[in-house]
Amino acid sequence: MIFPLYPLDAFGYEASLVAGTLLGFAFGFVLERSGFGRAPVLAAQFYFADTRVLKVMFGAIVTALLGTTILAGAGVLDYSLLTVPETFLWPQLAGGLLLGVGFIVSGYCPGTAVVAAGSGNLDGAMTVAGVMAGSLLYGFFHPWVAEFEMSGAMGVARLPDLLGVPQALLAAGVAAMAVGMFLGAEALEKLFARRRGGGPLLAPVPRNWVFIGIALASLGGLGTLALEPPAPAAAPAPRVVRIDSLTLARTLVESPDSVRLVDVREPAACEAKRIPGAMCLPADDPGGSFLADLPPTRRLVLYGAAELRALPGPAARFGGPVLVLAGGFAAFETAILTAPVAPSPVTPEALARFRLVSALHAKFTGAAAAPPPPAPAGPARVQPRGPKKGGGC
Amino acid sequence: MPHQKLWNPYVAGVALGLVLLASFLVMGNGLGASGAANRAAIGAAYVVAPDTVGHDPYFAKYVGPGKNVLDDWLVFEVLGVFLGGVVGAYSAGRLRRGILMGPRPMPAWGRLGLALAGGILMGVAARLARGCTSGQALTGGSVLSLGSWVFMMMVFAGGYLAAPLVRRQWR
Repeated sequence: MIFPLYPLDAFGYEASLVAGTLLGFAFGFVLERSGFGRAPVLAAQFYFADTRVLKVMFGAIVTALLGTTILAGAGVLDYSLLTVPETFLWPQLAGGLLLGVGFIVSGYCPGTAVVAAGSGNLDGAMTVAGVMAGSLLYGFFHPWVAEFEMSGAMGVARLPDLLGVPQALLAAGVAAMAVGMFLGAEALEKLFARRRGGGPLLAPVPRNWVFIGIALASLGGLGTLALEPPAPAAAPAPRVVRIDSLTLARTLVESPDSVRLVDVREPAACEAKRIPGAMCLPADDPGGSFLADLPPTRRLVLYGAAELRALPGPAARFGGPVLVLAGGFAAFETAILTAPVAPSPVTPEALARFRLVSALHAKFTGAAAAPPPPAPAGPARVQPRGPKKGGGC
Repeated sequence: MPHQKLWNPYVAGVALGLVLLASFLVMGNGLGASGAANRAAIGAAYVVAPDTVGHDPYFAKYVGPGKNVLDDWLVFEVLGVFLGGVVGAYSAGRLRRGILMGPRPMPAWGRLGLALAGGILMGVAARLARGCTSGQALTGGSVLSLGSWVFMMMVFAGGYLAAPLVRRQWR
Protein backbone atom coordinates (compact mmCIF):
# COMPACT_ATOMS: atom_id res chain seq x y z
CA MET A 1 0.00 0.00 0.00
CA ILE A 2 1.42 3.39 -0.92
CA PHE A 3 -1.78 5.41 -1.07
CA PRO A 4 -3.29 7.48 0.47
CA LEU A 5 -0.05 9.32 1.17
CA TYR A 6 -0.95 11.67 4.01
CA PRO A 7 -2.79 9.19 6.25
CA LEU A 8 0.18 6.84 5.77
CA ASP A 9 2.50 9.57 7.09
CA ALA A 10 4.30 10.21 3.80
CA PHE A 11 4.54 13.90 4.69
CA GLY A 12 3.78 16.27 7.55
CA TYR A 13 1.08 18.77 8.41
CA GLU A 14 2.67 21.83 6.79
CA ALA A 15 3.25 19.91 3.56
CA SER A 16 -0.40 18.80 3.65
CA LEU A 17 -1.46 22.45 3.56
CA VAL A 18 0.70 23.00 0.47
CA ALA A 19 -0.75 19.86 -1.13
CA GLY A 20 -4.24 21.07 -0.28
CA THR A 21 -3.59 24.43 -1.90
CA LEU A 22 -2.28 22.79 -5.08
CA LEU A 23 -5.22 20.38 -5.28
CA GLY A 24 -7.58 23.30 -4.73
CA PHE A 25 -5.85 25.22 -7.49
CA ALA A 26 -6.39 22.36 -9.93
CA PHE A 27 -9.99 22.03 -8.75
CA GLY A 28 -10.64 25.75 -9.30
CA PHE A 29 -8.91 25.79 -12.68
CA VAL A 30 -10.91 22.85 -14.03
CA LEU A 31 -14.17 24.29 -12.68
CA GLU A 32 -13.40 27.57 -14.42
CA ARG A 33 -12.65 25.86 -17.75
CA SER A 34 -15.84 23.85 -17.36
CA GLY A 35 -17.68 27.18 -17.37
CA PHE A 36 -18.68 26.82 -13.73
CA GLY A 37 -17.50 30.29 -12.78
CA ARG A 38 -20.41 31.68 -14.81
CA ALA A 39 -23.93 31.59 -13.39
CA PRO A 40 -25.84 31.50 -16.73
CA VAL A 41 -23.88 28.38 -17.76
CA LEU A 42 -24.72 26.63 -14.49
CA ALA A 43 -28.36 27.71 -14.47
CA ALA A 44 -28.84 26.37 -18.03
CA GLN A 45 -28.78 22.87 -16.49
CA PHE A 46 -32.15 23.43 -14.87
CA TYR A 47 -33.83 24.51 -18.11
CA PHE A 48 -32.33 21.67 -20.20
CA ALA A 49 -30.50 24.23 -22.34
CA ASP A 50 -27.01 22.87 -21.55
CA THR A 51 -26.71 19.94 -19.16
CA ARG A 52 -22.99 20.29 -18.59
CA VAL A 53 -23.44 20.42 -14.80
CA LEU A 54 -24.72 16.85 -14.92
CA LYS A 55 -22.07 15.73 -17.40
CA VAL A 56 -19.10 17.21 -15.56
CA MET A 57 -20.33 16.13 -12.15
CA PHE A 58 -21.12 12.54 -13.02
CA GLY A 59 -18.09 12.31 -15.29
CA ALA A 60 -15.95 13.31 -12.31
CA ILE A 61 -17.69 10.94 -9.91
CA VAL A 62 -17.36 8.01 -12.32
CA THR A 63 -13.68 8.79 -12.96
CA ALA A 64 -12.78 9.05 -9.28
CA LEU A 65 -14.93 6.06 -8.37
CA LEU A 66 -13.40 3.79 -11.03
CA GLY A 67 -9.90 5.09 -10.25
CA THR A 68 -10.11 4.38 -6.52
CA THR A 69 -11.81 1.03 -7.16
CA ILE A 70 -9.10 -0.16 -9.55
CA LEU A 71 -6.23 1.07 -7.35
CA ALA A 72 -7.76 -0.48 -4.22
CA GLY A 73 -8.42 -3.72 -6.11
CA ALA A 74 -4.80 -3.78 -7.30
CA GLY A 75 -3.61 -3.39 -3.72
CA VAL A 76 -2.05 0.04 -4.20
CA LEU A 77 -4.63 2.05 -2.24
CA ASP A 78 -5.83 1.29 1.27
CA TYR A 79 -9.50 2.12 0.82
CA SER A 80 -10.19 1.95 4.55
CA LEU A 81 -8.06 5.08 5.06
CA LEU A 82 -10.24 7.23 2.79
CA THR A 83 -12.56 9.62 4.59
CA VAL A 84 -16.16 8.70 3.87
CA PRO A 85 -18.75 11.29 4.93
CA GLU A 86 -21.13 9.90 7.53
CA THR A 87 -24.78 9.50 6.64
CA PHE A 88 -27.46 11.49 8.43
CA LEU A 89 -30.39 10.66 6.21
CA TRP A 90 -33.01 13.32 7.00
CA PRO A 91 -30.82 16.41 7.34
CA GLN A 92 -28.98 15.41 4.15
CA LEU A 93 -32.26 14.96 2.31
CA ALA A 94 -33.56 18.35 3.51
CA GLY A 95 -30.16 20.02 3.08
CA GLY A 96 -29.90 18.76 -0.51
CA LEU A 97 -33.32 20.13 -1.38
CA LEU A 98 -32.54 23.50 0.20
CA LEU A 99 -29.14 23.67 -1.49
CA GLY A 100 -30.73 22.92 -4.85
CA VAL A 101 -33.10 25.86 -4.37
CA GLY A 102 -30.21 28.11 -3.35
CA PHE A 103 -28.29 26.90 -6.42
CA ILE A 104 -30.89 28.06 -8.96
CA VAL A 105 -31.66 31.28 -7.05
CA SER A 106 -28.01 32.35 -6.84
CA GLY A 107 -26.78 30.59 -9.97
CA TYR A 108 -23.88 28.96 -8.12
CA CYS A 109 -23.06 26.29 -5.61
CA PRO A 110 -20.61 27.19 -2.84
CA GLY A 111 -17.48 25.92 -4.63
CA THR A 112 -18.29 27.42 -8.01
CA ALA A 113 -19.16 30.73 -6.32
CA VAL A 114 -15.55 30.90 -5.14
CA VAL A 115 -14.38 30.30 -8.72
CA ALA A 116 -16.79 32.99 -9.95
CA ALA A 117 -15.46 35.44 -7.39
CA GLY A 118 -11.94 34.65 -8.61
CA SER A 119 -13.06 35.31 -12.19
CA GLY A 120 -14.18 38.80 -11.17
CA ASN A 121 -17.91 38.07 -11.09
CA LEU A 122 -19.44 40.14 -8.30
CA ASP A 123 -22.54 37.96 -8.18
CA GLY A 124 -20.23 35.05 -7.29
CA ALA A 125 -18.58 37.09 -4.54
CA MET A 126 -22.05 37.98 -3.25
CA THR A 127 -22.98 34.28 -3.17
CA VAL A 128 -19.83 33.51 -1.17
CA ALA A 129 -20.86 36.24 1.29
CA GLY A 130 -24.31 34.64 1.47
CA VAL A 131 -22.88 31.18 2.14
CA MET A 132 -20.78 32.63 4.96
CA ALA A 133 -23.79 34.45 6.40
CA GLY A 134 -25.93 31.31 6.12
CA SER A 135 -23.30 29.24 7.95
CA LEU A 136 -23.23 31.77 10.78
CA LEU A 137 -27.03 31.90 10.96
CA TYR A 138 -27.05 28.12 11.24
CA GLY A 139 -24.57 28.35 14.12
CA PHE A 140 -26.55 30.98 15.99
CA PHE A 141 -29.82 29.07 15.63
CA HIS A 142 -28.18 25.70 16.17
CA PRO A 143 -30.19 24.75 19.30
CA TRP A 144 -33.38 24.82 17.19
CA VAL A 145 -32.04 22.31 14.67
CA ALA A 146 -29.72 20.28 16.91
CA GLU A 147 -32.14 17.38 17.15
CA PHE A 148 -33.04 17.26 13.46
CA GLU A 149 -29.38 17.60 12.54
CA MET A 150 -28.66 14.21 14.11
CA SER A 151 -31.75 12.38 12.80
CA GLY A 152 -31.34 9.34 10.59
CA ALA A 153 -27.75 8.85 11.77
CA MET A 154 -26.28 5.74 10.13
CA GLY A 155 -22.56 6.35 10.62
CA VAL A 156 -20.40 5.50 7.63
CA ALA A 157 -22.95 3.87 5.31
CA ARG A 158 -21.51 2.79 1.96
CA LEU A 159 -23.72 1.41 -0.78
CA PRO A 160 -21.57 -1.71 -1.47
CA ASP A 161 -21.92 -2.74 2.19
CA LEU A 162 -25.61 -1.88 2.38
CA LEU A 163 -26.47 -3.74 -0.83
CA GLY A 164 -23.95 -6.55 -0.37
CA VAL A 165 -22.57 -5.96 -3.87
CA PRO A 166 -18.81 -5.92 -4.63
CA GLN A 167 -17.57 -2.38 -5.11
CA ALA A 168 -16.25 -3.04 -8.64
CA LEU A 169 -19.63 -4.32 -9.79
CA LEU A 170 -21.44 -1.35 -8.27
CA ALA A 171 -18.89 1.04 -9.81
CA ALA A 172 -19.51 -0.48 -13.24
CA GLY A 173 -23.24 -0.10 -12.60
CA VAL A 174 -22.84 3.57 -11.66
CA ALA A 175 -20.75 4.11 -14.81
CA ALA A 176 -23.43 2.49 -17.00
CA MET A 177 -26.12 4.59 -15.31
CA ALA A 178 -24.07 7.76 -15.88
CA VAL A 179 -23.64 7.02 -19.59
CA GLY A 180 -27.38 6.40 -19.80
CA MET A 181 -28.03 9.73 -18.11
CA PHE A 182 -25.61 11.52 -20.47
CA LEU A 183 -27.41 10.16 -23.52
CA GLY A 184 -30.79 11.03 -22.00
CA ALA A 185 -29.61 14.54 -21.18
CA GLU A 186 -28.38 15.04 -24.76
CA ALA A 187 -31.72 13.90 -26.11
CA LEU A 188 -33.46 16.45 -23.87
CA GLU A 189 -31.01 19.17 -24.94
CA LYS A 190 -31.82 18.49 -28.59
CA LEU A 191 -35.56 18.47 -27.90
CA PHE A 192 -35.47 21.80 -26.08
CA ALA A 193 -33.06 23.31 -28.60
CA ARG A 194 -35.41 22.42 -31.47
CA ARG A 195 -38.28 24.11 -29.60
CA ARG A 196 -36.20 27.25 -29.26
CA GLY A 197 -34.90 26.94 -32.79
CA GLY A 198 -31.26 26.81 -31.71
CA GLY A 199 -28.64 24.33 -32.87
CA PRO A 200 -26.97 21.54 -30.90
CA LEU A 201 -24.03 22.63 -28.80
CA LEU A 202 -21.59 19.77 -28.93
CA ALA A 203 -19.51 17.78 -31.33
CA PRO A 204 -19.74 14.05 -30.55
CA VAL A 205 -16.07 13.22 -31.00
CA PRO A 206 -14.48 13.51 -27.54
CA ARG A 207 -17.67 12.13 -26.04
CA ASN A 208 -17.34 8.71 -27.62
CA TRP A 209 -13.71 8.42 -26.57
CA VAL A 210 -14.71 9.25 -22.99
CA PHE A 211 -17.45 6.61 -23.15
CA ILE A 212 -14.95 4.02 -24.39
CA GLY A 213 -12.58 4.99 -21.56
CA ILE A 214 -15.36 4.60 -18.99
CA ALA A 215 -16.24 1.17 -20.36
CA LEU A 216 -12.61 0.01 -20.30
CA ALA A 217 -12.08 1.32 -16.75
CA SER A 218 -15.27 -0.45 -15.63
CA LEU A 219 -13.92 -3.70 -17.06
CA GLY A 220 -10.58 -3.01 -15.38
CA GLY A 221 -12.35 -2.58 -12.05
CA LEU A 222 -14.22 -5.84 -12.55
CA GLY A 223 -10.93 -7.48 -13.51
CA THR A 224 -9.48 -6.69 -10.09
CA LEU A 225 -12.16 -8.93 -8.61
CA ALA A 226 -10.34 -11.85 -10.20
CA LEU A 227 -7.04 -10.87 -8.58
CA GLU A 228 -7.95 -12.12 -5.15
CA PRO A 229 -10.36 -14.73 -3.87
CA PRO A 230 -13.65 -13.00 -2.87
CA ALA A 231 -11.84 -10.24 -1.07
CA PRO A 232 -14.28 -8.82 1.45
CA ALA A 233 -16.12 -12.09 2.13
CA ALA A 234 -13.36 -13.96 3.97
CA ALA A 235 -13.13 -12.08 7.25
CA PRO A 236 -9.41 -11.91 7.98
CA ALA A 237 -8.42 -13.42 11.31
CA PRO A 238 -7.20 -10.69 13.65
CA ARG A 239 -3.47 -10.42 13.16
CA VAL A 240 -1.20 -9.40 15.97
CA VAL A 241 -0.57 -5.76 15.15
CA ARG A 242 1.88 -3.89 17.35
CA ILE A 243 1.52 -0.35 18.61
CA ASP A 244 4.46 1.41 20.21
CA SER A 245 4.33 3.20 23.55
CA LEU A 246 4.57 6.71 22.14
CA THR A 247 1.75 6.18 19.63
CA LEU A 248 -0.42 4.60 22.30
CA ALA A 249 0.22 7.46 24.72
CA ARG A 250 -0.66 10.02 22.06
CA THR A 251 -3.80 8.13 21.11
CA LEU A 252 -4.90 7.93 24.74
CA VAL A 253 -4.49 11.69 25.09
CA GLU A 254 -5.84 12.81 21.72
CA SER A 255 -8.73 10.43 21.18
CA PRO A 256 -9.29 8.33 24.27
CA ASP A 257 -12.62 7.10 22.87
CA SER A 258 -10.98 5.40 19.91
CA VAL A 259 -9.33 2.63 21.94
CA ARG A 260 -10.15 0.28 24.78
CA LEU A 261 -7.01 -0.56 26.71
CA VAL A 262 -6.93 -3.83 28.67
CA ASP A 263 -4.19 -4.96 31.05
CA VAL A 264 -4.01 -8.76 30.79
CA ARG A 265 -1.45 -9.29 33.57
CA GLU A 266 -2.48 -10.91 36.84
CA PRO A 267 -5.30 -8.82 38.31
CA ALA A 268 -3.22 -8.11 41.41
CA ALA A 269 -0.29 -6.73 39.41
CA CYS A 270 -2.66 -4.63 37.37
CA GLU A 271 -4.40 -3.21 40.43
CA ALA A 272 -1.03 -2.22 41.87
CA LYS A 273 0.23 -0.25 38.86
CA ARG A 274 -1.09 0.04 35.30
CA ILE A 275 -1.20 2.46 32.40
CA PRO A 276 -3.70 5.19 33.35
CA GLY A 277 -6.94 4.49 31.49
CA ALA A 278 -6.42 0.71 31.27
CA MET A 279 -8.91 -1.77 32.65
CA CYS A 280 -7.82 -4.85 34.58
CA LEU A 281 -9.11 -8.37 34.07
CA PRO A 282 -11.86 -8.93 36.64
CA ALA A 283 -10.96 -11.33 39.48
CA ASP A 284 -13.85 -13.64 38.57
CA ASP A 285 -12.83 -13.76 34.88
CA PRO A 286 -9.03 -13.99 34.82
CA GLY A 287 -9.14 -15.61 31.36
CA GLY A 288 -10.77 -12.48 29.93
CA SER A 289 -13.65 -14.28 28.20
CA PHE A 290 -15.54 -10.95 28.16
CA LEU A 291 -13.07 -9.66 25.55
CA ALA A 292 -14.79 -11.60 22.78
CA ASP A 293 -18.11 -9.89 23.49
CA LEU A 294 -16.93 -6.28 23.67
CA PRO A 295 -18.60 -4.11 21.02
CA PRO A 296 -16.12 -3.64 18.15
CA THR A 297 -16.66 0.12 18.09
CA ARG A 298 -13.19 0.84 19.52
CA ARG A 299 -9.83 -0.70 18.77
CA LEU A 300 -8.80 -3.13 21.45
CA VAL A 301 -5.26 -2.65 22.80
CA LEU A 302 -3.82 -5.36 25.04
CA TYR A 303 -0.63 -5.46 27.03
CA GLY A 304 1.11 -7.87 29.38
CA ALA A 305 4.19 -7.45 31.50
CA ALA A 306 6.33 -7.99 28.39
CA GLU A 307 5.21 -8.10 24.77
CA LEU A 308 2.39 -10.53 24.07
CA ARG A 309 3.45 -13.10 21.48
CA ALA A 310 -0.06 -14.36 20.81
CA LEU A 311 -3.52 -13.06 21.50
CA PRO A 312 -5.48 -14.59 24.35
CA GLY A 313 -8.19 -16.82 22.81
CA PRO A 314 -11.15 -14.56 23.62
CA ALA A 315 -9.38 -11.52 22.17
CA ALA A 316 -8.87 -13.40 18.90
CA ARG A 317 -12.66 -13.66 18.64
CA PHE A 318 -13.11 -9.89 19.15
CA GLY A 319 -15.01 -8.33 16.25
CA GLY A 320 -12.77 -5.32 15.61
CA PRO A 321 -9.08 -4.52 15.28
CA VAL A 322 -6.82 -5.81 18.06
CA LEU A 323 -3.40 -4.33 18.80
CA VAL A 324 -0.75 -5.32 21.29
CA LEU A 325 1.59 -2.89 22.98
CA ALA A 326 5.13 -3.43 21.70
CA GLY A 327 7.33 -4.41 24.65
CA GLY A 328 4.36 -4.57 27.00
CA PHE A 329 4.04 -2.64 30.25
CA ALA A 330 7.80 -2.57 30.75
CA ALA A 331 8.30 -0.63 27.54
CA PHE A 332 5.59 1.88 28.38
CA GLU A 333 7.04 2.37 31.84
CA THR A 334 10.44 3.18 30.36
CA ALA A 335 9.16 5.32 27.51
CA ILE A 336 6.44 7.38 29.16
CA LEU A 337 6.13 6.79 32.90
CA THR A 338 9.82 7.58 33.46
CA ALA A 339 10.83 11.22 33.12
CA PRO A 340 12.64 11.75 29.82
CA VAL A 341 16.26 12.79 29.73
CA ALA A 342 17.13 15.99 27.90
CA PRO A 343 18.70 15.19 24.55
CA SER A 344 22.31 15.79 23.77
CA PRO A 345 23.39 16.70 21.19
CA VAL A 346 20.35 18.92 20.62
CA THR A 347 18.94 18.34 17.16
CA PRO A 348 15.52 19.71 16.14
CA GLU A 349 14.13 16.16 15.87
CA ALA A 350 15.44 15.07 19.24
CA LEU A 351 14.15 18.26 20.82
CA ALA A 352 10.67 17.85 19.31
CA ARG A 353 10.56 14.28 20.53
CA PHE A 354 11.77 15.29 23.97
CA ARG A 355 9.05 17.91 24.26
CA LEU A 356 6.38 15.47 23.14
CA VAL A 357 7.52 12.79 25.59
CA SER A 358 7.76 15.37 28.39
CA ALA A 359 4.22 16.51 27.76
CA LEU A 360 2.95 12.94 27.66
CA HIS A 361 4.96 12.03 30.75
CA ALA A 362 3.40 14.95 32.62
CA LYS A 363 -0.07 13.90 31.45
CA PHE A 364 0.31 10.28 32.51
CA THR A 365 2.11 10.75 35.80
CA GLY A 366 0.38 13.94 36.87
CA ALA A 367 3.77 15.59 37.24
CA ALA A 368 3.15 19.30 37.79
CA ALA A 369 5.31 20.38 34.89
CA ALA A 370 7.62 18.78 32.42
CA PRO A 371 11.31 19.50 32.97
CA PRO A 372 12.30 22.71 31.18
CA PRO A 373 13.53 22.10 27.66
CA PRO A 374 17.16 22.90 26.96
CA ALA A 375 16.55 25.48 24.22
CA PRO A 376 14.23 28.40 23.45
CA ALA A 377 10.91 26.69 23.74
CA GLY A 378 7.30 26.76 22.84
CA PRO A 379 4.88 24.39 24.47
CA ALA A 380 5.02 20.85 23.16
CA ARG A 381 2.38 20.57 20.55
CA VAL A 382 0.74 17.30 19.73
CA GLN A 383 -0.04 17.66 16.07
CA PRO A 384 -3.33 16.13 14.93
CA ARG A 385 -2.89 13.86 11.94
CA GLY A 386 -5.13 13.44 8.98
CA PRO A 387 -7.76 15.78 7.64
CA LYS A 388 -10.47 16.30 10.20
CA LYS A 389 -13.56 14.28 9.61
CA GLY A 390 -17.03 15.77 9.43
CA GLY A 391 -18.17 19.06 7.95
CA GLY A 392 -16.15 17.91 4.99
CA CYS A 393 -17.24 20.22 2.29
CA MET B 1 -19.23 33.58 -27.17
CA PRO B 2 -17.64 32.31 -23.97
CA HIS B 3 -18.95 28.85 -24.83
CA GLN B 4 -16.28 28.30 -27.44
CA LYS B 5 -13.56 28.60 -24.84
CA LEU B 6 -15.17 26.15 -22.44
CA TRP B 7 -13.88 22.62 -22.32
CA ASN B 8 -16.04 19.85 -23.69
CA PRO B 9 -18.08 18.75 -20.65
CA TYR B 10 -17.07 15.09 -20.96
CA VAL B 11 -13.38 15.98 -21.08
CA ALA B 12 -13.90 18.44 -18.20
CA GLY B 13 -15.66 15.73 -16.20
CA VAL B 14 -12.73 13.34 -16.59
CA ALA B 15 -10.28 16.15 -15.70
CA LEU B 16 -12.26 17.03 -12.58
CA GLY B 17 -12.42 13.35 -11.69
CA LEU B 18 -8.64 13.05 -11.97
CA VAL B 19 -8.20 16.02 -9.61
CA LEU B 20 -10.61 14.38 -7.17
CA LEU B 21 -8.76 11.06 -7.51
CA ALA B 22 -5.46 12.83 -6.84
CA SER B 23 -6.98 14.36 -3.71
CA PHE B 24 -8.01 10.91 -2.47
CA LEU B 25 -4.57 9.46 -3.22
CA VAL B 26 -2.61 12.32 -1.66
CA MET B 27 -4.80 13.45 1.23
CA GLY B 28 -7.07 10.45 1.78
CA ASN B 29 -9.88 12.95 1.52
CA GLY B 30 -11.92 14.49 -1.28
CA LEU B 31 -12.47 18.16 -2.07
CA GLY B 32 -14.66 20.70 -0.33
CA ALA B 33 -15.82 24.28 -0.26
CA SER B 34 -18.53 25.21 2.24
CA GLY B 35 -16.52 24.05 5.27
CA ALA B 36 -13.93 26.72 4.54
CA ALA B 37 -16.64 29.39 4.11
CA ASN B 38 -18.00 28.32 7.48
CA ARG B 39 -14.58 28.67 9.11
CA ALA B 40 -13.93 32.03 7.47
CA ALA B 41 -17.33 33.30 8.64
CA ILE B 42 -16.79 32.11 12.20
CA GLY B 43 -13.31 33.63 12.20
CA ALA B 44 -14.66 36.98 11.03
CA ALA B 45 -17.47 36.89 13.59
CA TYR B 46 -14.98 36.06 16.33
CA VAL B 47 -12.92 39.13 15.47
CA VAL B 48 -16.02 41.37 15.56
CA ALA B 49 -17.71 39.90 18.62
CA PRO B 50 -15.31 37.61 20.50
CA ASP B 51 -17.48 37.37 23.61
CA THR B 52 -20.72 36.42 21.88
CA VAL B 53 -19.07 33.91 19.57
CA GLY B 54 -16.50 32.55 22.03
CA HIS B 55 -19.15 31.64 24.60
CA ASP B 56 -21.53 29.99 22.16
CA PRO B 57 -21.32 26.22 22.65
CA TYR B 58 -21.67 25.56 18.91
CA PHE B 59 -18.86 27.93 17.91
CA ALA B 60 -16.63 26.89 20.81
CA LYS B 61 -15.42 23.88 18.77
CA TYR B 62 -13.90 26.29 16.28
CA VAL B 63 -12.69 29.30 18.27
CA GLY B 64 -11.24 29.86 21.68
CA PRO B 65 -7.90 30.02 23.44
CA GLY B 66 -5.23 28.12 21.55
CA LYS B 67 -7.45 27.44 18.53
CA ASN B 68 -7.05 28.97 15.12
CA VAL B 69 -10.25 28.52 13.15
CA LEU B 70 -8.36 28.95 9.87
CA ASP B 71 -5.76 26.26 10.66
CA ASP B 72 -7.39 23.62 8.50
CA TRP B 73 -6.37 22.11 5.17
CA LEU B 74 -9.80 22.90 3.70
CA VAL B 75 -9.19 26.63 4.14
CA PHE B 76 -5.97 26.30 2.13
CA GLU B 77 -7.70 24.12 -0.43
CA VAL B 78 -10.39 26.76 -1.04
CA LEU B 79 -7.74 29.45 -1.23
CA GLY B 80 -6.33 27.31 -4.05
CA VAL B 81 -9.78 27.09 -5.68
CA PHE B 82 -9.95 30.88 -5.72
CA LEU B 83 -6.49 31.18 -7.28
CA GLY B 84 -7.39 28.47 -9.80
CA GLY B 85 -10.43 30.54 -10.72
CA VAL B 86 -8.29 33.65 -11.19
CA VAL B 87 -5.71 31.89 -13.36
CA GLY B 88 -8.32 29.92 -15.31
CA ALA B 89 -10.30 33.04 -16.14
CA TYR B 90 -7.21 35.11 -16.90
CA SER B 91 -5.68 32.56 -19.25
CA ALA B 92 -9.01 32.21 -21.07
CA GLY B 93 -9.28 35.98 -21.46
CA ARG B 94 -12.40 36.33 -19.34
CA LEU B 95 -11.03 37.79 -16.11
CA ARG B 96 -13.05 40.96 -15.75
CA ARG B 97 -15.14 42.56 -13.06
CA GLY B 98 -18.81 42.34 -13.78
CA ILE B 99 -22.18 40.94 -12.83
CA LEU B 100 -23.38 37.92 -14.77
CA MET B 101 -27.09 37.56 -15.50
CA GLY B 102 -29.49 35.95 -17.93
CA PRO B 103 -30.51 37.43 -21.30
CA ARG B 104 -33.19 39.72 -19.79
CA PRO B 105 -31.74 42.92 -18.37
CA MET B 106 -32.30 43.28 -14.65
CA PRO B 107 -31.05 45.83 -12.13
CA ALA B 108 -27.67 45.00 -10.60
CA TRP B 109 -29.09 45.13 -7.07
CA GLY B 110 -31.74 42.58 -8.07
CA ARG B 111 -29.18 40.08 -9.34
CA LEU B 112 -26.86 40.65 -6.37
CA GLY B 113 -29.80 40.32 -3.97
CA LEU B 114 -30.76 36.96 -5.48
CA ALA B 115 -27.12 35.84 -5.37
CA LEU B 116 -26.96 36.76 -1.67
CA ALA B 117 -30.29 35.10 -0.87
CA GLY B 118 -29.34 31.89 -2.67
CA GLY B 119 -25.99 31.93 -0.89
CA ILE B 120 -27.66 32.21 2.51
CA LEU B 121 -29.93 29.26 1.70
CA MET B 122 -26.89 27.21 0.64
CA GLY B 123 -24.92 28.21 3.73
CA VAL B 124 -27.68 26.87 5.97
CA ALA B 125 -28.17 23.81 3.75
CA ALA B 126 -24.49 22.91 3.68
CA ARG B 127 -24.24 22.98 7.48
CA LEU B 128 -27.36 20.85 7.79
CA ALA B 129 -26.13 18.32 5.23
CA ARG B 130 -22.49 18.46 6.42
CA GLY B 131 -21.24 19.53 3.03
CA CYS B 132 -22.19 20.93 -0.34
CA THR B 133 -21.93 19.84 -3.94
CA SER B 134 -18.15 19.42 -3.50
CA GLY B 135 -17.85 17.73 -0.12
CA GLN B 136 -21.00 15.63 -0.30
CA ALA B 137 -22.05 15.13 -3.92
CA LEU B 138 -18.62 14.83 -5.59
CA THR B 139 -16.53 13.45 -2.73
CA GLY B 140 -19.10 11.36 -0.88
CA GLY B 141 -20.64 10.29 -4.18
CA SER B 142 -17.29 8.91 -5.37
CA VAL B 143 -16.88 6.76 -2.26
CA LEU B 144 -20.50 5.57 -2.59
CA SER B 145 -21.80 7.06 0.66
CA LEU B 146 -25.57 6.60 0.94
CA GLY B 147 -26.19 10.03 2.47
CA SER B 148 -24.14 11.73 -0.25
CA TRP B 149 -26.18 10.10 -3.02
CA VAL B 150 -29.43 11.09 -1.30
CA PHE B 151 -28.06 14.62 -1.00
CA MET B 152 -27.05 14.76 -4.67
CA MET B 153 -30.44 13.58 -5.94
CA MET B 154 -32.11 16.16 -3.71
CA VAL B 155 -29.91 18.98 -5.05
CA PHE B 156 -31.12 18.26 -8.58
CA ALA B 157 -34.70 17.86 -7.29
CA GLY B 158 -34.55 21.19 -5.45
CA GLY B 159 -33.03 22.94 -8.46
CA TYR B 160 -35.62 21.65 -10.92
CA LEU B 161 -38.50 22.35 -8.50
CA ALA B 162 -37.47 25.96 -7.94
CA ALA B 163 -36.33 26.65 -11.52
CA PRO B 164 -39.77 27.72 -12.84
CA LEU B 165 -40.05 30.27 -10.00
CA VAL B 166 -36.87 32.10 -11.02
CA ARG B 167 -37.18 31.46 -14.76
CA ARG B 168 -37.23 35.18 -15.52
CA GLN B 169 -33.76 35.51 -14.05
CA TRP B 170 -32.18 33.00 -16.43
CA ARG B 171 -34.14 32.49 -19.69
